[in-house]
Amino acid sequence: MSIIRVFLSSAIFSFKAQFGWLYPPMWLTMKLVMSLSQMAFFVFVAQFLITTGHSAGPDLVAYIAVGNAMSVLSWNTVFSVINITSHDKWDGTLQLVLATPANRLPLFVGRAMLHVFDGMISVIIGLAYAALLFGVNFGNANILLLFAVVFLTAVAMAGFGLLIGGLSFYYRDPLVFANIFTFILLIFCGVNFPVQELPQLLQPISYIFPLTYGVEAGRKTVAGASLAEIAPLIGQMMIVGITSIVLGYFFFTTFERLARKTGSLESV
Amino acid sequence: MMLGQLRVIYSAFRLAMLHWIADPQWVIPNVIAPFVFTFVALTLFKGAGGPFGLYAVLGGGMMGMWGNTLYSSGFAIEFEKWQGTLEDVMATPSHLLHVIAGKSISNALFGLTNMVAILVIASLIFRVDLGVASPVLFAVSIVLTLLSVSALGLIFASAFVLSRYTQVFANGLEFPIYVISGSMFPIALLPFWIHPASYILGPTWGIEAVRIATAESIVPTVFWVNLSIMVVITFIYVLLAGFLFSKVETKARRDGSLVEA
Repeated sequence: MSIIRVFLSSAIFSFKAQFGWLYPPMWLTMKLVMSLSQMAFFVFVAQFLITTGHSAGPDLVAYIAVGNAMSVLSWNTVFSVINITSHDKWDGTLQLVLATPANRLPLFVGRAMLHVFDGMISVIIGLAYAALLFGVNFGNANILLLFAVVFLTAVAMAGFGLLIGGLSFYYRDPLVFANIFTFILLIFCGVNFPVQELPQLLQPISYIFPLTYGVEAGRKTVAGASLAEIAPLIGQMMIVGITSIVLGYFFFTTFERLARKTGSLESV
Repeated sequence: MMLGQLRVIYSAFRLAMLHWIADPQWVIPNVIAPFVFTFVALTLFKGAGGPFGLYAVLGGGMMGMWGNTLYSSGFAIEFEKWQGTLEDVMATPSHLLHVIAGKSISNALFGLTNMVAILVIASLIFRVDLGVASPVLFAVSIVLTLLSVSALGLIFASAFVLSRYTQVFANGLEFPIYVISGSMFPIALLPFWIHPASYILGPTWGIEAVRIATAESIVPTVFWVNLSIMVVITFIYVLLAGFLFSKVETKARRDGSLVEA
């Protein structure tokens, strides 16, 4: 029971600490703008190719629109989750959190959970833009399955955010990591072009990011794939996501142990 | 301009430079987004030939410059709030606009280094031919565009005095400006109802002038028309920023809302 309480408290307070000051209408406005602008940028880059006869057309637009709709959750599950560590350090709450006797696993995992739902809202907004503004056809999609894919991708990506957030405890300004890891996903995860377009040397890196599997599963689901067809992708994504959480937890607990032993909690 | 005002601008510039030297890691977040956008665009443009590579690299370079300048200029006030020094700055007899202008100029310089970094990285990795037909016109258009973006940042900075929500807007406006100004594609591709928004942005005209300066068949008239329009827009930005600063400064002092904002 206390594990659930710690998990929920951690989820609520971590989210409130970051966004409690933001009016809901402002929060929603930013969501609407962010989801659209990233997608629109790459769609117009694609349309530049299409209108000059260098690309086939609608397929590329749909590819990019769905890819960006899925990837927009990285702002919530990677950028914001890594930034929890930043806020803990800036606001001086890290010491208070580590002084509690609370079980560390639900404390650590819980802090990312509301960002999962926040990320899902971003993706839903992005998919709506893809359909309404860029003409992506959702007629063949199993919408329930698409929701499940979005949810699991958000969970796995939050795991990745926790991993980098765990590593960031050792660094003074985790915000730098948050920026780097949010953006490089656009290169490695098949968001705007297939992973196979990357130089061969870089391609293996793509598969350490859960988003690579999530984006592909999302695209297949939109195209009408069944659960059986995307199950291998989802399975691989969850293995990567859970491994990320375990590694992140290891870094977090190791940091705590070291900081207690050396008395360096505030100086890191 | 009075010597005293120049001294204020220089002091703010110097302090901002010292802050950056003390914590240079922030160059990474400033460069990462434009670099990634350039990488993606160049991958999409692979094999297309023609002007695409130049569009991507110049667009990425300009984004590197704008992102830092726009964001940092707008953020100048918020930074003072974080450090707890805004009240001290406001208590001095110097005009806040001059303090922020000094910071904006230093941000513009960093913006320029970001652009160079993006151009060098992109040309080395992707082997894009960065032949500039007219280096002089290229340099003039870059510097003036930078000033135009700094002036736009000043408008955001004035809003920061009133509300911390401006930070959210400044964060969120970076990408829409990349889209609306047609940084990597012609604005003709945008829906017609967005065009007015494109035309009131200085960077829209700036990037066009930069592209013309790199093209082999330069049309000087078109270049100067683009640049002149941008200069006029920049002048309006500065006037507007001056007006807003005097208003918000008075309001913040009168309402005592400086720290809580």
